[in-house]
Amino acid sequence: MLFNYFKIAFRNLVKYKGFSTINILGLAVGMASAILIFLWISHEVSYDQFHEKKDRIYEAWNKGSFNGKISCWNTTPKVLANAIQADLPEIETTTRVNWTETYLTRFGDKTIMMKAATVDSTFLQVFSFPTINGDKENALLNPSGLVLTESTAAKLFGTDNPIGQILELNEKFQFTVTSVVKDPPSNSRFQFECLIPWAFLRSQGFDDNYWGNNSTRTYALLKPETTVEAANAKLVGFRKKYDQEDPLGGFFLYPIERWRLYSNFRDGVEESGMIEYIRIFTVVGAIILLIACINFMNLSTAKSEKRAKEVGIRKVIGARRTNLMGQFLGESILIAFLAGILSIILVQLTLPSFNTFTEKRVEIDYTNPLAWALWLGFIVLTGLIAGSYPAFFLSGFQPTKVLKGTFRKSQAAINPRKVLVVLQFTFAIILIICTLVIKKQIVHAQNRNNGYNKDQLVYYFMTGSSEKNYELIKNELLSTGAAISVTKTSAPLTEGWSNSWGIGWKGKQPDDRTLFDRFCADQQFVKTAGLELVKGRDFDLAAHPADSSAILLNESAVKAMGFSDPIGQLIQDNGRDWTVIGVFKDFILHSPFSKTQPMIIEGAHGWFNVIHFRLNPTNSVSTNLKKAETVFKKFNPSYPFDYTFVDQAYAAKFEEEKKMGSLAALFAGLTIFISCMGLFGLATYMAATRFKEIGIRKVLGASVASITTLLSKDFLKLVLISFIVASPIAWILMNEWLKVYAYKTSIDVWVFVATGFLSLTIALLTTSIQAIKAAVSNPVKSLKSE
Amino acid sequence: MIKLEHISKWVNQGNNRIFLLKDINLGIEDGEFVSIMGPSGSGKSTLLNVIGMLDTADEGSYQFYEQPVHTMKEKQRSQLYKQHIGFVFQAYHLIDELTVYENIETPLLYQDTKSSERKALVADMLDRFNIVGKKDLFPAQLSGGQQQLVGIARALIAKPKLILADEPTGNLNSKQGEEIMDIFTQLNKEDGVTIIQVTHSEKNAAYSNRIIHLLDGRIEHNR
Repeated sequence: MLFNYFKIAFRNLVKYKGFSTINILGLAVGMASAILIFLWISHEVSYDQFHEKKDRIYEAWNKGSFNGKISCWNTTPKVLANAIQADLPEIETTTRVNWTETYLTRFGDKTIMMKAATVDSTFLQVFSFPTINGDKENALLNPSGLVLTESTAAKLFGTDNPIGQILELNEKFQFTVTSVVKDPPSNSRFQFECLIPWAFLRSQGFDDNYWGNNSTRTYALLKPETTVEAANAKLVGFRKKYDQEDPLGGFFLYPIERWRLYSNFRDGVEESGMIEYIRIFTVVGAIILLIACINFMNLSTAKSEKRAKEVGIRKVIGARRTNLMGQFLGESILIAFLAGILSIILVQLTLPSFNTFTEKRVEIDYTNPLAWALWLGFIVLTGLIAGSYPAFFLSGFQPTKVLKGTFRKSQAAINPRKVLVVLQFTFAIILIICTLVIKKQIVHAQNRNNGYNKDQLVYYFMTGSSEKNYELIKNELLSTGAAISVTKTSAPLTEGWSNSWGIGWKGKQPDDRTLFDRFCADQQFVKTAGLELVKGRDFDLAAHPADSSAILLNESAVKAMGFSDPIGQLIQDNGRDWTVIGVFKDFILHSPFSKTQPMIIEGAHGWFNVIHFRLNPTNSVSTNLKKAETVFKKFNPSYPFDYTFVDQAYAAKFEEEKKMGSLAALFAGLTIFISCMGLFGLATYMAATRFKEIGIRKVLGASVASITTLLSKDFLKLVLISFIVASPIAWILMNEWLKVYAYKTSIDVWVFVATGFLSLTIALLTTSIQAIKAAVSNPVKSLKSE
Repeated sequence: MIKLEHISKWVNQGNNRIFLLKDINLGIEDGEFVSIMGPSGSGKSTLLNVIGMLDTADEGSYQFYEQPVHTMKEKQRSQLYKQHIGFVFQAYHLIDELTVYENIETPLLYQDTKSSERKALVADMLDRFNIVGKKDLFPAQLSGGQQQLVGIARALIAKPKLILADEPTGNLNSKQGEEIMDIFTQLNKEDGVTIIQVTHSEKNAAYSNRIIHLLDGRIEHNR
């Protein structure tokens, strides 16, 4: 029986090639999108889930109140780990992870840049990065021993045994390789090529007991029989016990399993996170699949007159309704199966670009039987969804009616097929509007005045001896004509690395916890960056040696401090008095979508990591860079000349929104494509069924244009209804999306007008091909066919 | 075998009730060969559909082998006619996507007959109607007469007691028509299959041993 069903299904597929192609292709595209989205979601959900002790591993978070708002963040004081381990009996052990740093690493004549994380010796006991070679227990105890990942070890030593070999880091530190661990998987929060022991940090004097320095991450492994609630109860107000300077606030332990998907806190309460994207994409994936299924339903029911006779005959010769439903579901599952095979090919072809786009290393494990089972289940499910309505509809025909030939298609104003087309186009139109609004928002923020001149501005991280030779580098950059001005700063102009609520000034309220962005620069900062100076002057150590303890404020900072005459005011920070010498207009340090914050720029007594230089406009960029490279190679010979254009770094701030926009555009394109394929199928079918009517109309004198209009009108009406349904939904969605942004665009009427026009045009093009074909055919042919 | 009492069937058109069948009383015994005649719209096909259980009457009782069809559920009815009744149509109504062999086999699939048994039964049927050579052809590749042979073979495959034929020769030329009527006669005489046919042709009616004349939904003549 089953074989019989598939046989008929197959013959039907071959007989109606056009319909079959549309069905299979549409379903395949829908299924491929769903599979890719599924792969993305399963990768996101699997983040940090591979640690054997994941149920017991927690990350320590700060929780503090700032001007009435509760903030949570996961960088902690370095001393916190020891304090909670001593005070909380629930904790089995703790481990700290500092920021990853890149080290110039040399072995023999091999030199590589190596990304290293500095971690406590307990790191490998808490987290599961299996040791494959060398010391398992004490790999990170010795301050001059380090752990390599498998691929880094292979890069440095090839097939030789790396254990006991000596590496030279940053041209001054000698490390012995103590063990080799597996590479961290792509779904790990820690991405490193090397682990350096915390003991090394301490030996270099970089460890501190200062509770105000929240710069490291602290992880705790709880004892098996304890609860996190018990531990957290003891961490509320924990600072009071140790932090004399800022006794407010406390900590809490947050499960590492939730970090990737949640960990967005609003006013101290876990609110959302990546899970929102997962929800959105689940819905979008389901919708695209549903739209593909709707094509199948529509085409199958539209074709029903051709199948009606078969249904009648089968019923007369003994088929029950369930037999027929089984047959039609069998057909849809067969089509879903063919589409499923095609979809795997599509996924395989698009996976590389998908990985580039999502910055992931997602792969399909073809050896995993579970993956195949899932795939088969997915096919059957798709087949059932797509086939259920047609099966129900077709199997209900009465044999006496269909066999007598009195069977007529329904002429009802609302039939399910129309509803389904409206549904498809509603989704498509919503996605088009979303795409346009997202693009508009990006353009809106791109057009925003960023507050400095980002063209021809380059920055360079001070590596190796470039810090020591800064003055030499600076003079040579200027004297060779590569740059017209140079400044060194604490951070790149596009990144906020430091902030503080501990800034002091005259007239500050004791409970004022306004957060200031903190930046440092030595010389000619306003000139190099191209800031707009409102009052006062730039740093100028040559003319004013005292400028090393001078400070610049932005307008927001002046406002926050309540100065009417800011120049000459004293600002207290880091145990030093800074004299205000200038005020500049706010520039965008963080996101171009948010408000600018109060900001201070401290003078040459600050700390420095980055060199900024403005290229000489009279030379070409490549000449300037070539000259600059010579200078840096001369004074910092071991390190590569790694520089970044500020305008490119600034453009990267739009990356996330641009991705959102591309995704929305992609999904809109897919839904439109699949929906139009269905529409094309319906138009083809309709032109065929009205063949005779068209012939009669033409004999009576109808023009090609009037017949084309007649045939397209019905479909355009449906698209128009979809537009009316979709517009308010899209408006609400986008309004909600824009709420997150402080600096936002408006949702203009033209967006809707353009979308309406676009969707009608696409629908018209799709249907009119068939309509025109029907309209120009010779009436003699259609009327003779009776 | 069949006993119809006071069978009526109607449709409502506004306030008027139009009778398709009105107060039909009819008994048909095992082994009869009955022709139903009458002008277009007299209710011949409706009567045949009611007898064949494809349609139900609005009023009256219908006993099939002493079983009350008019009170049965759809499922029981379908079970009953699946076992006992075979249909032959004017337009043959073969399934275009199936070969001759598969068309004949299909009723057996719906009765869950075993594969080996199906093969034997279909082979018998192909032999009997001399269409073994055509078994792999599709309906569109056959002449009208050949298609109707396949239609009859399909109706007979489940060994029914009763064949209902709705103008079985209507689309055929006279020679093909005679062949079909010969087959019916043979089935009736040799296999004892009861046959009820709807026909316009006096010539075909002459093959039967009883003719019922319908006019406006009533039995006019019953001889």
